[in-house]
Amino acid sequence: MPLVAQKIPKVGLVMEDVKIVRWFKNVGDHVAAGEPLLEVETEKSVVEIEAAATGRLTQILVQVDSRAVVGDRVAWIEAAGAPVAARDGERIRSTPVARKLAAERGIDLGGIAGTGPGGRVQLDDVQRAIGAPRTPAPAAPALSPMRRALARAMTTSHATIPQFTVARSVDWTELQFLGREFGARLADGAPRLSVNDFLLLAVARALMEFPALNATFSGDPDSDDARIVQASGAHIGLVVAIDNGLLVPVIHDVERFGLAEIARRRLDCVERGLKGRLKREEVDGATFSISNLGAQGPDRFTAIINPPQSAILAVGRLRDCVVPRDGAIVVRPQSDLTLTVDHRVADGRLASQFLARLIAILESRDWRLE
Amino acid sequence: MQHTFIEILRRALDEELARDPAVHLLGEDVAAGGAFGVTRGLAQKHGSTRVRNTPISEAAITGLATGAALCGLKPVLEIMFIDFATLSMDCLVNQTAKYRYMSGGQLAVPLVVRTQAGAAGGAAAQHSQSLEAWFIHVPGLIVVAPSTPAEAYGLLKSAIRLGEPVLFIEHKRLYTMKEELAEGAELPPIGRSRIARAGTDVTVIAYSAMVQSALEAAQKLADAGISAEVIDLRTLVPLDMATIAASVSKTHRALIAHEAVRNGGVGAEIAARIGAELFDELDAPVLRVGCGFAPIPFAPELERALLPGSADLVRAVRRIMGLADKTRE
Repeated sequence: MPLVAQKIPKVGLVMEDVKIVRWFKNVGDHVAAGEPLLEVETEKSVVEIEAAATGRLTQILVQVDSRAVVGDRVAWIEAAGAPVAARDGERIRSTPVARKLAAERGIDLGGIAGTGPGGRVQLDDVQRAIGAPRTPAPAAPALSPMRRALARAMTTSHATIPQFTVARSVDWTELQFLGREFGARLADGAPRLSVNDFLLLAVARALMEFPALNATFSGDPDSDDARIVQASGAHIGLVVAIDNGLLVPVIHDVERFGLAEIARRRLDCVERGLKGRLKREEVDGATFSISNLGAQGPDRFTAIINPPQSAILAVGRLRDCVVPRDGAIVVRPQSDLTLTVDHRVADGRLASQFLARLIAILESRDWRLE
Repeated sequence: MQHTFIEILRRALDEELARDPAVHLLGEDVAAGGAFGVTRGLAQKHGSTRVRNTPISEAAITGLATGAALCGLKPVLEIMFIDFATLSMDCLVNQTAKYRYMSGGQLAVPLVVRTQAGAAGGAAAQHSQSLEAWFIHVPGLIVVAPSTPAEAYGLLKSAIRLGEPVLFIEHKRLYTMKEELAEGAELPPIGRSRIARAGTDVTVIAYSAMVQSALEAAQKLADAGISAEVIDLRTLVPLDMATIAASVSKTHRALIAHEAVRNGGVGAEIAARIGAELFDELDAPVLRVGCGFAPIPFAPELERALLPGSADLVRAVRRIMGLADKTRE
């Protein structure tokens, strides 16, 4: 005796999802094709659904008050002379690709309602059963150790550190002049000075003047263990973009050195960083980082603090800006500096005082080369 | 500037005649332009030695062209109507296709046989057939069937330069189709099909004029939310199975459409290969659309009723998708 699947037909234009209100027949009852077999509730109305075949109702698959979608198999009718049977003894009508996916995912085809012709189980039916998207996305490759560390650090930062930003423009006129002068005075073979060396030294000097900002927050703010730990020297991280990741080598005790020595140390640790040869203490212990995206970078941007540090300075690209100066309009080389600060460590007034001092240092002629 | 299929074929032939002195055109009336005017003016330009009229004897002129190719020329022979390629069959099947193999590669037959196929309205049963399936059965013959004027331009040039026997099938209904020719475009390689329209739900594989019907059907299906990918085979031998496999592995459903009768047609060959090579990718039976098993009638109304068109493709795709057939008249 072939089995015929009783399915939810499409009634009206948008009936997708229905609730079974009642079954007019019980399992074992005789049904005639075309007579009402069950009643379903759609969004708009209650609809009677006719039996798909004449025969005996052998199984009700979806009970009253349960939901079904159009095309779902809700009952089996054992019919004499039925034209097609979804289930031919043990064999279930199914397409090759549906069988392949079901086998891959260890799913029993018998438990899946087939919506294809004659109740054939199709790819869609198996995908619906396993809750897979219609077109599975290609498997993404695993993260590199560096990407994972970065993801972890940035997630921790954003989730646990309340961060605020303050921003101001810096005028590079004096510093460009000094850079040329110092460049001429450098010993033969000494590394050339970069704007990052000036930034490192200026931040170091400002940190020494604002020890409250040269600190890290530790412990749970809710507990008595919460502390703000001040650092003894200026230990500053320099963010270096590399292929698919970042390096943040730390230069320790920056305040002790002149620009020439800072340039030497910066070049050394960046070069070793690119080769993956930085020691543990050379990436640890900073309270502050500098992120400079360079001449091709954006006008300004906001950086996220690298925990457990408490601040990061984002340096926008150097560009000629029209500025009012002494009642006249002049063109000056400027960058926007955006300082992100851990609000647990410092407040807005302190951060803006620090930034103002940092800019005063950068715009001054008061620098030491050695 | 748009040009008809005929004008673009003429330009391709003209350029190849100018490019390579070994290229010659042969056929009934070709010096006068041929039955469709494809070669009009070429005899005046390139001389009646290189653009040469032949007697109306397909068996003889196919032998002539094959011999000329064996002796070093690159003849382009026009067989007026593929229906009469039956008379060329002995030479094409037993001589032209076999020389390279039987001479152990010492001989080559760089011959292109241009011929017209398909029904174009009231040409009746002896001038409307699509007989490509007979030729794909013969190892040694390349079979090309372009779908647009620009495609024909590139494929005809590639065929002439291939150095192998090529049957180049031009659909008469495409002769008046106009298209712009991209200057300096790369010539399509023989044996590589193209995606004429990208889609995700079903792959429609077609060639020659049926590509246009497939694109029409794809547009109608798109309006109904079904995304059909249309493959223009370009060449039937060699068959670009890689493109078919990539597409069917994506859509899991395939339809093959041609104007030739379904029975024993190109679609049967492709369907069998999909069944054998892509079985585990299929989510529905592979269907074919083709002409019913009957001679093409002379009466235009009957011809239209018999020939497959975009409505048949839409209906077949809906069947593959398991949708109720609302388009049945």
